[in-house]
Amino acid sequence: MSATLRIEDLHVTVGEKEVLKGLSLTMHAGEVHAIMGPNGSGKSTLAHALTGHPGYRVVDGSVSIDGVELLPLSATDRARAGLMLILQQPFEVPGVRPYDLLRAAGADPTSLRARMASEADRLDLKSELLDRFINVDLSGGERKRAEMVQLGVLRPPFAMLDEIDSGLDVDALELVARRLVDATREWNCGVLVVTHFRRLLTVLPPTTIHVVSDGRVVEVGGPELAEKLERDGYDVYRATSA
Amino acid sequence: MNSFTDSATNFIDECVDGAARQRAWRRFELVGLPTTGDEVWRYAPLGDLAIEHFEVPRGPAASAETPLARELSERAERVVRLVDGFAVSLGEDKPGVTVSLAPGRESLSGEPLEDRYQNDAFALMNLALAPAAVVIRVAAATSLERPLVVLNESRASACFSRTQIIVERAAEVTVVEYFDGGDQALVVPLSEYLLEEGASLRLVTYQRLADSTWHVARTTGFLARDGRLTQAVVGLGAHYNRSRNDAELLGAGSANELRTTYLGSGDQVHDFRTRQYHVAPRTTSTLLSKGAVADRARSVYTGLIEIEKGAKRTDARQTNHNLLLSPRAHADSVPNLDIRENDVMCAHASSVGPLDELQRWYLESRGVSPDDAQRLLIQGFFYEMLAALPGEMAPLVERDVESVLATVIAGSS
Repeated sequence: MSATLRIEDLHVTVGEKEVLKGLSLTMHAGEVHAIMGPNGSGKSTLAHALTGHPGYRVVDGSVSIDGVELLPLSATDRARAGLMLILQQPFEVPGVRPYDLLRAAGADPTSLRARMASEADRLDLKSELLDRFINVDLSGGERKRAEMVQLGVLRPPFAMLDEIDSGLDVDALELVARRLVDATREWNCGVLVVTHFRRLLTVLPPTTIHVVSDGRVVEVGGPELAEKLERDGYDVYRATSA
Repeated sequence: MNSFTDSATNFIDECVDGAARQRAWRRFELVGLPTTGDEVWRYAPLGDLAIEHFEVPRGPAASAETPLARELSERAERVVRLVDGFAVSLGEDKPGVTVSLAPGRESLSGEPLEDRYQNDAFALMNLALAPAAVVIRVAAATSLERPLVVLNESRASACFSRTQIIVERAAEVTVVEYFDGGDQALVVPLSEYLLEEGASLRLVTYQRLADSTWHVARTTGFLARDGRLTQAVVGLGAHYNRSRNDAELLGAGSANELRTTYLGSGDQVHDFRTRQYHVAPRTTSTLLSKGAVADRARSVYTGLIEIEKGAKRTDARQTNHNLLLSPRAHADSVPNLDIRENDVMCAHASSVGPLDELQRWYLESRGVSPDDAQRLLIQGFFYEMLAALPGEMAPLVERDVESVLATVIAGSS
């Protein structure tokens, strides 16, 4: 039986403001799900809240992987339960190199260098860049690819990627998308992407698209939904949620 | 018991330049050892300093080179070895670099050393008791690929070393000063650096003496026009680790970047003092001091930015972050500004608190345990300092830092 990530009726506040107002979503290992929606609809909040980012307070709801409730767990234990997040703007950690992070995260040190090099190669990222401190002195596109190297080494059962397509040129976007497709095949990774653009989804075909507006999922559909959104925009959802 | 005074007197009597040393010694006796009543010494455990237990050595003890010292030497352009302050080797001659021993009575500022350090008891001790000054001169426009390494090994109970580095016009060099050894010893190095016009000196001082030792170090950089001094000071060892690092920005456009870091455990005290003295226009100083204290250790950071009238468009920044790893550890941070010119940019910030919450979360969200995340981030303070080291040397020192950190953090959590 394949693993299942289940988000049920999630309510999250940032500061005083309730941003997620009962969001639900279920996905299985090996599937690709996309979350689309207008700016400010709560997409990024979902990504942050799932991994226990400080500043995002879950006030109600449940997130589980195969019945194991994640919300009471620390950030470390959520990661160990199988969930990895790649942020829209991966920040810098001066003084810490990717190798040291990955080793501390449990990667096998005997093969780690080789695996990092091979992952970098697949993303057309110069592997010397991984000798720098995490994301320090990297361009926006290099950061995204450096984060993808971590994903390829850590092989999380579920990966959530917040606007992985921003800051990437067309060629890099295609490499990243293909790497994610391969991830679904190589270790049956469940991929949850937040995106504004259909372009990513042409290389990384989604099993399911969830349209989020005003903190809730307002429509669920197949890949055809992306075309409709590109054509019609989000106005129709804004109208219903306002 | 008067072992220190007697051995010092005997040592001075035997030196050919005994008269000059005698003057410095008398001045030392006049100034006297500091007391905690002196503001700048109030955090030092001077009550533990039994000066008469130290004995001034008459020559170097047998060397017991550590593997790290050996590995650094293998990767150096040239190696100078000092044991107990005595030069046992000045290294092989290389084009563009001369190393010599000198009586060294003159400061690189041009004035007599005794005048310059007339109120500093430990510097005066050094002037009376250092066997000689090691003078390293890098010829104009020389650019060295690999660093010069100065190994300072302490085997006797007292060790006074003096180093003067002159980087001539438009030359570029990296120097690593390494201190180890020391068993209930007193180690008092005094260093000066002169950067001529357009010269660049990257300096890494790595101090990992035994934690029963007193280390009282003082360095001063003199920067001519467009000179660039990039200095990293790493303090891991010593019972009392005092490091005073000054820079005088004397020529227009000169720049000083100073990074200091420390890790304290047990009942160690790390006491960092800095003074950035801006004399000429368009000079910049960037100072970053970061460190952590565990157990009952304490740290002190006192930094002064001084800007003279006429040093227009000076840009001076000072940042100090201290991390407390145990409820009994303590950190004091005292930034000071003394500005006599209006047209300047000046900023200082200091904090005593926990690690950056978001960086910690980032590491944990990748499955790193909270303890390991803390260890990686503290280790990162040091790795940032060591970034000045060339690629083949940094991993050696990082490995050494890692082993020390692992012990301290395991003991404190």
